[in-house]
Amino acid sequence: MGIDTVRVEKLRDKPLDGQAVKRLVEAGLLWLKTNQQTVNSLNVFPVPDGDTGTNMMLTMTSAWNEIKDSGEKHAGKMVAMVAKGALMGARGNSGVILSQLWRGFARATQDSAIIDADVFVRGLMEARDTAYKGVVKPVEGTILTVAKDTATAAEAALSEVDDPIDVLARCVPAADASVNQTPELLPILKQAGVVDSGGKGLFFILEGMLRYIYGEPLDTPLATIQPLSSLNFDNAMQGVEEGQDYEVVVDFFPGQKFELQKFYGKLEEMGTSIQVGEGDGMYRMHIHVPLDKRYEPIDYIMGIGTITKVAMENLTAQMDEIDAKTKNTKLELANVEPNQIAVVVVSPGPGLSRIFASLGVAAIVEGGQTMNPSTQEILAAFENLPTEKIIVLPNNKNIILAANQAKDVTVKKVEVVPSKTVPQGLAAMLAHNPDGELASVSEKMTKALGEVKTGEITVATRTVEIDGVNVKEGEVIALLDGKLVVSSKSIEDGVMAFLKKAKAEEHELITLYYGEDFSQSDANRIVDVVRAAYPGQEIELQDGGQPHYQFIISVE
Amino acid sequence: MKLGIVTDSTCDLPQALVKQHQLEVVPSILIIEGQEYLDGSGISRDEFYNRLPDFKTPPTTAAPSIGEFARRYQKLLDAGCDHVISIHAAGQLTSMVNIAQQAAKEFSNRVTVIDSRSLSLGVGFQVLAAAESAEDGLEAALAAIESTRKRLRVFAALDTVEYLRRSGRVPGTLAFLGSLLSIKPIVELADGEVKAIRAVRTTKQANTRMMSFMRQGGNLERLAILHTGTEARAREFLNQLMNEMSQSLPRDILMVNVTTVIGTHVGPNGLGFAAVKK
Repeated sequence: MGIDTVRVEKLRDKPLDGQAVKRLVEAGLLWLKTNQQTVNSLNVFPVPDGDTGTNMMLTMTSAWNEIKDSGEKHAGKMVAMVAKGALMGARGNSGVILSQLWRGFARATQDSAIIDADVFVRGLMEARDTAYKGVVKPVEGTILTVAKDTATAAEAALSEVDDPIDVLARCVPAADASVNQTPELLPILKQAGVVDSGGKGLFFILEGMLRYIYGEPLDTPLATIQPLSSLNFDNAMQGVEEGQDYEVVVDFFPGQKFELQKFYGKLEEMGTSIQVGEGDGMYRMHIHVPLDKRYEPIDYIMGIGTITKVAMENLTAQMDEIDAKTKNTKLELANVEPNQIAVVVVSPGPGLSRIFASLGVAAIVEGGQTMNPSTQEILAAFENLPTEKIIVLPNNKNIILAANQAKDVTVKKVEVVPSKTVPQGLAAMLAHNPDGELASVSEKMTKALGEVKTGEITVATRTVEIDGVNVKEGEVIALLDGKLVVSSKSIEDGVMAFLKKAKAEEHELITLYYGEDFSQSDANRIVDVVRAAYPGQEIELQDGGQPHYQFIISVE
Repeated sequence: MKLGIVTDSTCDLPQALVKQHQLEVVPSILIIEGQEYLDGSGISRDEFYNRLPDFKTPPTTAAPSIGEFARRYQKLLDAGCDHVISIHAAGQLTSMVNIAQQAAKEFSNRVTVIDSRSLSLGVGFQVLAAAESAEDGLEAALAAIESTRKRLRVFAALDTVEYLRRSGRVPGTLAFLGSLLSIKPIVELADGEVKAIRAVRTTKQANTRMMSFMRQGGNLERLAILHTGTEARAREFLNQLMNEMSQSLPRDILMVNVTTVIGTHVGPNGLGFAAVKK
């Protein structure tokens, strides 16, 4: 697998027009898609957090859908379409920044029927500037830094080369180096032992374009092994493909002749969503396969090593269960009059949606930790409401940017009240007055965000030390207003330890919202313990129905 | 010209002021588990609020009869009054004004019925304004009422939506009424309507809001701290007021355990105020 020099020369001779742009975008998307799980695994917090790889992939997919049937020859016009698609499909913070990079790139190239090296470099610089401007407080050591270093490398290249292909060839290693440098700029990355996920995603897009030019394959991931602790199969759940009904996970010790590249190749003939992890010499393989192939991976691995454990699950049944759970929720949403203010919220669970509805929200966008809604989805939620005045509550730090983007592209008057957690969103909702004046209501709601402390209780997805807390994979961890404060052995201990950290004894009210994989009776048992420990506080238990988080807690 | 003034017991004016201004107060009627009580007799306010959460069926209220009003008007006119002003709880919330108007018809333009568009001391302060300018004649009294009403603000922080929800007395829809969370609504009584300003979840948050609404009022001519069976909370609020804005307060501040007729719709442990700006 080397560089196809004949091909490169051929492409070099062809002008970079609209159709060439299209093929590059497709290549960037494909390569990102192939490496999606690698990007997803770069979570700083060992919690099932907004999955950067998935978000960026979906953003690029939206861009691709905008152009895939277009025969446009004009490069600038093609890039403009890419930017529009990326904007509408932007999900999560990295997705939004990615869409802004495209917007900047489009602005610099709009009048160019053909992109030459000069225009290409100007595009990258404008992309960088637009992305920096789009973020209120730019943080270094993120995708922004990678975009910046890439643009710098491109600018420097211009004095030596005059073909956009050669510029790109210099940008890719610069992006790679920049990604690897991110832990030095952002201490939290270093602490967690990862590089920045958004930056890595951007690198994959650029690298995918270059691999296309070099004639390298885009559909097989470079055989990479993740540490066992960073394997996260929940992500894989989202991508259940038609016909891939079974999830198979095999733990094994490989034999003498084990070859990773061959192993991957063989697995790819069997199924999808392949992940391989390693720890202390033991390997864990994860794959989705069709019904009739469900024993194939096991048989195959038996031939190349010693199997210690096999787990198999029927995904279709799991999905049906999830569907059944979400279906029986008919919500009574507020009817807004044309002159009133309508509130749109992002809600991670059916129970929380019911609570939001009971407080008078006009529209609900489903989404949260691992499924950040796109700009388009947020937009769609309020576009058909009969009023021009809209307030959006993102209820998650990874959704705020997409909400702001929705605000930028609509003709309606939209205010985003930047709620980072569900309890903050509920507190803001209580300050809502549909008949008030938009700016002042939004200000009051924003003020209310500070009236509540948020706890999030979940199970660590890997071993890490962060915010001075040592966490082992599988342990229960508690976050206080987004900061990891404590780890413990059980959910009950996690809840109690959080309440202590939050100084619950100095407050009046503790509300616990239990998650979807928790039963009411189990939740009640924990509430009894809380009640005994905090006799002076009011305790309230609600069915939240959120995934991943056993409890979301508010203390006020 | 001698003016007589009639009001109803929902005005919450203390007995001393009623006597001082020779006001005629028509008692409203409260029905608790099938038994009728005249507002202010038979069951003390403290006792009522203590028992309110435990009543098997929610207490209901009834307006006094037309005859009751007519009797008061007759009494004042017989005692030498040239004209009677009859000021009552908001017509959008109670039938008091309506019944008073029916009664007034029998007195050929000698009784003027006023819809205070308020409740509790929101009514009471308009009554006081009328009484204090009664010597200057009907026009002056009516002007004083009008002026007071314009400068009046009434807020209440309820401890729960429960009582409001079951009262059916709330015009319009309060979004919070359907809440699945336990919340404490803060309402403003304005133009005869109960309007939800916002909700909070703790008493402390409620007090903070009430304090800020109070500050918006600027310098005050009259002030009443209202509560439903929770004098401790009212006193604490008053102390905070004295600490933070004593300069803006009037000399006399009323502290009132609100009439049970209103309280049954508000529920216990509520805090409110009625304030008239200078």
